[in-house]
Amino acid sequence: MSGTGTDGDPASGAQTRGDDAVDGAALAVELDGITKRFGDVVANDGVDFRLERGSVHALLGENGSGKTTLMNILYGLYDRDAGTVRVDGQPREFGSPRDAIDARVGMIHQHFQLVEPMTVLQNVILGHEPTERGLVDEDAARADVHDICQRYGFAVDEHLDTPIRELDLGAQQHVEIVKSLYRGAEILILDEPTAVLTPQEVEALFGVMEELTASGRSLIFITHKLEEAMETADEITVLRDGEAVGTVPAGETTREELAQMMVGREVLFEGADRETTIGDPVLTGQDLVVRGDRGLVKVDGVDFEIREGEILGIAGVEGNGQSELAEAIVGLRPVEAGTVVYEGEDVTDASRRQLIRDGVAYIPEDRQQEGLVMDYDLRRNALLGNQTVAPFVERGIVDWDSVGDHAEEIVQQYDVEPHDTSAVAHSLSGGNQQKFVVGREFEHDPRAILAAHPTRGVDIGSIEFIHDRLREMRDEGLAVLLLSSKLEEIQQLSDRIAVMYEGEFVDVVEPADVTERDLGLMMTGSSVGDDAASPDVAAESGGEQP
Amino acid sequence: MSETHGDGDGTGASGSGADDGGRDIPEPVRRGLARLVDASVIERIGIALASTILALAIGLVIVAAAGYDAVLFIDNMVYGALGTYNVAELFGTQNRIAKTLRPTVTFILTGIAVAVAFRAGVFNIGVQGQFVVGGFAASITIVSIAGTFPSTATGAAIVIVLATLAAIAAGGLYAMLPGILKAYAGANEIITTIMLNFIASGVVFYLIDSFFRPDGTFFVRTDRFPGHVQFPQLFFEEASFSLVGLAIALATAAIVFLIMERTRFGYDLVTSGYQEEAATYSGVDAKRTIVATMTFSGMIAGLAGAVYVVMVLSYYSNPASIPTFGFDAIAVSLLAGNNPLGVIPAGLLFGGLESGGNYVNQSSDVPRQLIDGVIGLVVLFVAAPELFRMAGKRMGLGGEGR
Repeated sequence: MSGTGTDGDPASGAQTRGDDAVDGAALAVELDGITKRFGDVVANDGVDFRLERGSVHALLGENGSGKTTLMNILYGLYDRDAGTVRVDGQPREFGSPRDAIDARVGMIHQHFQLVEPMTVLQNVILGHEPTERGLVDEDAARADVHDICQRYGFAVDEHLDTPIRELDLGAQQHVEIVKSLYRGAEILILDEPTAVLTPQEVEALFGVMEELTASGRSLIFITHKLEEAMETADEITVLRDGEAVGTVPAGETTREELAQMMVGREVLFEGADRETTIGDPVLTGQDLVVRGDRGLVKVDGVDFEIREGEILGIAGVEGNGQSELAEAIVGLRPVEAGTVVYEGEDVTDASRRQLIRDGVAYIPEDRQQEGLVMDYDLRRNALLGNQTVAPFVERGIVDWDSVGDHAEEIVQQYDVEPHDTSAVAHSLSGGNQQKFVVGREFEHDPRAILAAHPTRGVDIGSIEFIHDRLREMRDEGLAVLLLSSKLEEIQQLSDRIAVMYEGEFVDVVEPADVTERDLGLMMTGSSVGDDAASPDVAAESGGEQP
Repeated sequence: MSETHGDGDGTGASGSGADDGGRDIPEPVRRGLARLVDASVIERIGIALASTILALAIGLVIVAAAGYDAVLFIDNMVYGALGTYNVAELFGTQNRIAKTLRPTVTFILTGIAVAVAFRAGVFNIGVQGQFVVGGFAASITIVSIAGTFPSTATGAAIVIVLATLAAIAAGGLYAMLPGILKAYAGANEIITTIMLNFIASGVVFYLIDSFFRPDGTFFVRTDRFPGHVQFPQLFFEEASFSLVGLAIALATAAIVFLIMERTRFGYDLVTSGYQEEAATYSGVDAKRTIVATMTFSGMIAGLAGAVYVVMVLSYYSNPASIPTFGFDAIAVSLLAGNNPLGVIPAGLLFGGLESGGNYVNQSSDVPRQLIDGVIGLVVLFVAAPELFRMAGKRMGLGGEGR
């Protein structure tokens, strides 16, 4: 199954992989020692990466491991701090994507860059219109685009005059690829191309990728899904915390090995040794069904129970329904079926505002879209979510003095830099934004907390502080639901861990009973079951899959 | 859904959004825009004044090139707007200033109506229609009930208050409709409100023509209001301007400002305008907020209609002949940065241009089109820096730390 492109491909078929220089044809892409810093955060740390001509090279890693950053550097969107970029053997300096496109590098972003009201044809030729005496030569364009579609089996040529917004996302993605090909791309970067697709659309995409490599094009496939990498790629490079952990041929690796590389070393479990007794259920859900933004069922029959003084961790590869589950619980997303009960009351259809009043705090996944108003200063942001909470608002009137004091407390206690509540949110670094949001939600005086990635982008010291605070609040008897893509975090904090895969809980386990590697495997849908700790079982289930 | 560009990679680069927006723009332009975004209120007023002078200077060149006396033009313009060149005489017996303040009142009120909606991210282009409906509701209230109250100042006050309430209700309801359509049916409010402007004119015309047109009148209009139903004449002699009207406009600006700054409703509304997702996250019901915003905006537009008919018209005419305050209000609001207090100087500028332009028209043979062209230049010049400022803000330029 793996190495589909390898068989028909003379360039990468025979030779051994690794760092050896390649005889004959130059590598399509060669990145050496790429380093990129954002402020104090090192997003890429001396990353080496080689893409062979006519092959698919998967870039695998958890969220935040630096995959997209690396590719944005190759595509000219970011300037690198160190390292060299070679395309077709030539050293390159791309100041902007335009330079990259001129060097025949194309990138299909996760969020499509299409003009919705314009037709497929207009989108494809946008910026590269063939002209005749100053006018767009639409016939020539149409013939060219038609040609490309024919050659690679895209179905979009029937829709050339259809506005983009009438196409589904799978077809839109094809349009993006056709657009890149029309601009002459020989090297294509696909950034998490499957994230928004249905299984059928994913299959169609893999077919297209096969066609592309068969015609000699080289693809970089960014993903955090093990199977996808193994199914489509010739080689897989794993990134973790901005470093390239290693490159392996897809045909010679196992899910197990990849999971281990992605997640890293095993860690000591700190969460297990506490003495607090767990109380009555605070928040329970039964047979929850929730739909995602595209109307697909993202949560499919989930039961959960969070008790007083307990942290329930939800582990899972992003996009498997965790976000939708959290949003449904806190009242931001309608529940399709099932019930949510909070402190003995049915809150399935309760509004967010109702739940805020009842003491359900929520640290959102996206601090810049949801958690903060970027144009507001911290004082005004301190009111966000507190609009119904005394003493900040009484009888509809805002008491800015007490809101200001509250902002001051958050900034001091959670060490938000700058220590200045008149600073505008967008001027803060991501970590400080996060600390402010966490502080605000923790100080709501909640009874239950849903924390989605509470330490994302936060520096080590503050992670420690936020973790301690979470434990403290748990010990005070709060019910905590923790979503995180960091397995260490889940393991350290959780009293129980639910592993979510494709909208369902694969299993609920005690952190002491599983290793991170087990969790990593379960996150890809393999049930480890009772013998969680047994490596044999894990290896077996891993071996079956490919 | 999962990994967004800058942030998902754990970099949390502040202003990662700016990278995409402003990438292709040359550095000097970026710096200029950032400077504009950071401009203080005083600087912005200074820029507006300089823009006015520059636009008038260019306008005068055009006037001269067209063969008219440019000096006389500017002379008439200033005199028409201010009534004198001597500030000490500004409020003298001639009361030219009243002719400026009269349209100013309506510009301010309709401008606030637009600003409220725009601040919440709802584009109410239907202020004109709500203004017409409100004025009509006030007028028919007055002609219907004025007879039942004594013809005294108190009686007039009661009638005016009731008429104003009717206008506020009518304007609010008329704006609530596109609000509901947007919130619950996804209908674009720009389109529905524009269409409802036409419907307002048509329906009001029909209603006046069928039910409220006095016998024997040649034009389509309601009865004139009884003479005592008007604002008290304070200080100014100009018949169709009253300080009471101006006071209502200024008080409305102040109250709306306070609502936006100091109440939960205002915070929810403004936050929805800045960042809808964040508002939703904080428990704001986006749909209800859209409806509430439109209704609130329409209520102010209705109030504008009531003040206009009581102070200026004293009857209701064919709506087609009502000036398009509701459209000019969009420019007033944009010029004011959609700030209800900023609407006051912006409304004053528009009032001055209106009155000055009228005077030029009356006292010289410069064609109306040329006058409007010069006025248009002033509006364009004054609005342009504000537009660039908004564009810069949208691109994430300016602010601290960049």
